[in-house]
Amino acid sequence: MVVVPEFLIRRVYKKGSLKKIENGASLELKNVLGPGFISGFNYVKINDAVFEAHEVKFITGGQELAGESVSEANPVAFRLGQDGTLVMTGKDCVVDGTNKIVIEVMNPEAGKVQLTVEDMV
Amino acid sequence: MEVTFDKYSLMVDGKRVFIKSGAFHYFRTPGYEMALDRFAKMKAGGYNTVDIYFNWNYHSQKQGEYDFTGVKDVRKVLQAANETGLFIIARPGPFINGEVNAGGLPFWLLKMDDVIPRNRIGTEYRYSEKYMQYIEEWYDNIIPIIREFDNVILFQIENEYATDTMEEDYMRQLYKMARDKGITCPIFHNDAYFAGLWADVVDIYALDLYPYINPNQNWKQDHFCFDTLDNVEEIFRSAKENSPPFIAEMQSGWFDKWDGSGYKHIRDALGDEHINIMTKTALSQGITLFNHYMAAGGTSWDDLACDEVYTSYEFTAPIDEFGIPQSNFFKAKEINYFLDSFDFTSTDPVPFDFSQENIYTKLRHDNINNCDWLFVRNMAPETVTLELPIGKSIQLKAYDMKICPVNLPLKGCEIEFSDVEIFARLHNETEEVIFMIADKNANIYLKEHGIISGDRNDYDNLTFERGGKITRFVFLTKRLADRSWLLNDKLIFNADYVLPNGAAALERNTEIAYYDLEHKFAKKYCVVNTFKDYNKPEIIKDFDIEFCSPEIDLHYNYSDWRKIGSKTDSLSCGLYDEFVWYKGRIPNNIEEITLSARHLFAVYINGKEVLNRNSYKLEKLQEVPETISIPLDKNILNQEVNELTILVQNLGFDKGFSGDTNCPRGLVTFETKPEVPVEFYVCEKLSIERGDTRESDNPYLTKITVNFDIDFRNDVFFAKYLSLENFWYRRATIFLNGVKIGRYIKRRHVQDKFYLINEFLKPQNTLEIIIWEKDRNIKSPWGFKSDMKNVIIQIGTQKMYQLFK
Repeated sequence: MVVVPEFLIRRVYKKGSLKKIENGASLELKNVLGPGFISGFNYVKINDAVFEAHEVKFITGGQELAGESVSEANPVAFRLGQDGTLVMTGKDCVVDGTNKIVIEVMNPEAGKVQLTVEDMV
Repeated sequence: MEVTFDKYSLMVDGKRVFIKSGAFHYFRTPGYEMALDRFAKMKAGGYNTVDIYFNWNYHSQKQGEYDFTGVKDVRKVLQAANETGLFIIARPGPFINGEVNAGGLPFWLLKMDDVIPRNRIGTEYRYSEKYMQYIEEWYDNIIPIIREFDNVILFQIENEYATDTMEEDYMRQLYKMARDKGITCPIFHNDAYFAGLWADVVDIYALDLYPYINPNQNWKQDHFCFDTLDNVEEIFRSAKENSPPFIAEMQSGWFDKWDGSGYKHIRDALGDEHINIMTKTALSQGITLFNHYMAAGGTSWDDLACDEVYTSYEFTAPIDEFGIPQSNFFKAKEINYFLDSFDFTSTDPVPFDFSQENIYTKLRHDNINNCDWLFVRNMAPETVTLELPIGKSIQLKAYDMKICPVNLPLKGCEIEFSDVEIFARLHNETEEVIFMIADKNANIYLKEHGIISGDRNDYDNLTFERGGKITRFVFLTKRLADRSWLLNDKLIFNADYVLPNGAAALERNTEIAYYDLEHKFAKKYCVVNTFKDYNKPEIIKDFDIEFCSPEIDLHYNYSDWRKIGSKTDSLSCGLYDEFVWYKGRIPNNIEEITLSARHLFAVYINGKEVLNRNSYKLEKLQEVPETISIPLDKNILNQEVNELTILVQNLGFDKGFSGDTNCPRGLVTFETKPEVPVEFYVCEKLSIERGDTRESDNPYLTKITVNFDIDFRNDVFFAKYLSLENFWYRRATIFLNGVKIGRYIKRRHVQDKFYLINEFLKPQNTLEIIIWEKDRNIKSPWGFKSDMKNVIIQIGTQKMYQLFK
């Protein structure tokens, strides 16, 4: 069970940031909740396409991190106010109109944190 | 007492008051005397308010029944706060968290039909009429007691509450209930998400802040953990413009868990730098109400603890579990005394153009003292020298933070700037004495008088006069400041602590000094009567050993136990005690039994253990359920009808912050293969708790009985402990004079020192330690009993102080 209510987690997603890229998608996050760490990317799901950690890149603070490199032993700091871009590759997934996005990450203190939003393209 | 507020501060009877509060759990520090002791120490440390959770579960074992007598007499706790001169922040929940069992919700409530605890499942809002009715019952019992005390200045509804959709009905109804039942002071809620939650429902918006919640984290290295605190004024202003910034829980320590890193690690990690940074940064953000959570640690005796925590709720608080002031207490005292020296209740931020890596600065204008205060923090791992834009330089040690006055007018002079910190101030119309903490790398810049070095010895002093008024600076080294105490219009030096009646507590022979404006310095030599060499714990050699689990014996008569149905878990059966026995019969054709139990359990067939298991497991903050199958054969099932005994130890319900409180406990599932119905009979508690003192044939639970005496003296404070440091058994439950005071389970960072809670001590005492051992560790009952004679049990004294009036 998630500690943080959904409506607060949803604030992390930058509305309108979902973009179709070649063979994938990108979207943007901003930490408006509080300082913390991401200790794992479980998956990102856009519509029916599921991207595992190895298909996800997280670009933040001038660093580009492979999703599978982020772990409990190697967490990435995500400061209050910090921006980040998630890039998913491997399959086309973004459709014109409404897209359903699920992002599941791990946090050392809260455990599994799941963000579910819809965004228009 | 009339309590009002504006955007700056609380006002009591029209006068601005800075609220310096500390949290105290009366249920973990039981009884009037212990409450009085901790409150006296808080008061001596400069706190003016005590924050009190009222634990519904502690007072109500059955629906409609409430116990406010004996150690549960909250009137006496509130009376103790009143007598000590502390304001009270009342937090009666209904949910409190506090790492207590079921977050303070009564067990009976959890199983009620149509009750949805906290009106939510997970984070989904589900309103429950019945739940609201029972809250009404709790409020009807607790609010009249709270209302008897005029020093209650704030009242909290719920705690750390949020749902996905944030419907307001529940919170609005709680607010109305409190008002309808006569609460007149401002009402607030404690927002754990610092997101402005419920700001429109309450009078004052408040939040909690814990930058360090992961003991594996190095807060000095990952100091961005203060990001929220560094911007908290903005959160307050956008949440509710006209209420004063209030941190309802401000970290002053942290709790340890069963699989945690130990309190020593947490205390060492936080040091006294953390509370210094927390509190001073909060002040730099305009906070005028704070509550150090906790001010005094406590003990989760009996079944108080939630499943996550062990007996000690030491919390690395300024006053530890034993009632002993620690180094973070002295740091909190310094800040509290400073806040008593200059009224800090009305300040506004002023732009300050300074930026440097690892350095935080904030300037505030003080509307009352007509000066500015500069807050400077160094998060670099080394000392830094800063050239400030006000033309002064300052040297700051690693992880240090200072509050520096800028253009502070005093009676006999004016401070242009000082990085020598102010400790305390005594003053009257014409004279003031400002006690400063000597610092060889800091200076006081006085207008018209130049620079005064902070490189001073104890009691060095300098006097300045202007227009017939005097300002005297007296310097104290940090070491002496820690042992200096502000009591009304007097400072007392060299005491370990002082009581509100002026008594000084001393551990050894000491020359006490006093200072007040009328008499100046006075001294008194205090000879501490010889305390025995109390630092050495006494090894107990003389004790009795008995086997004490007759329930497991073959042919044990359990006909008077309660028969239960097919649902065997705690809530379905109304079995809330830590220990629950299940007895039944199974035929000899059973090939396997499969069961799930929380948290520790053992299965005995015909008086012999077939499984002994610790099923307690948390992963990513979630309980990991476990189901175990046990193959049985003719060697075990050696009778036509076989006696089955299951003992389950429930370490507590979830505290309800991230999980649901009504999670299954006890024997959760039980199946046989082939499937046969098993009629279970149940009984709570260990035999000695039920007054059954028969010795058993089996050795699985063994009782060690130790008798010891205590020499009570009115002029001595002491704290005693039981040490199981050299204890080689896996599990033990400790009873002091019949009261369950501790759970011992061997872990990596095990709690092996148990506070012998003063409230339960008598001149002649009996300590009973029930050891629950695994079969494989018991070669033979005779040999086991013989081995146990070598067990090392120690009773020691943590601290001892003599009180001098």
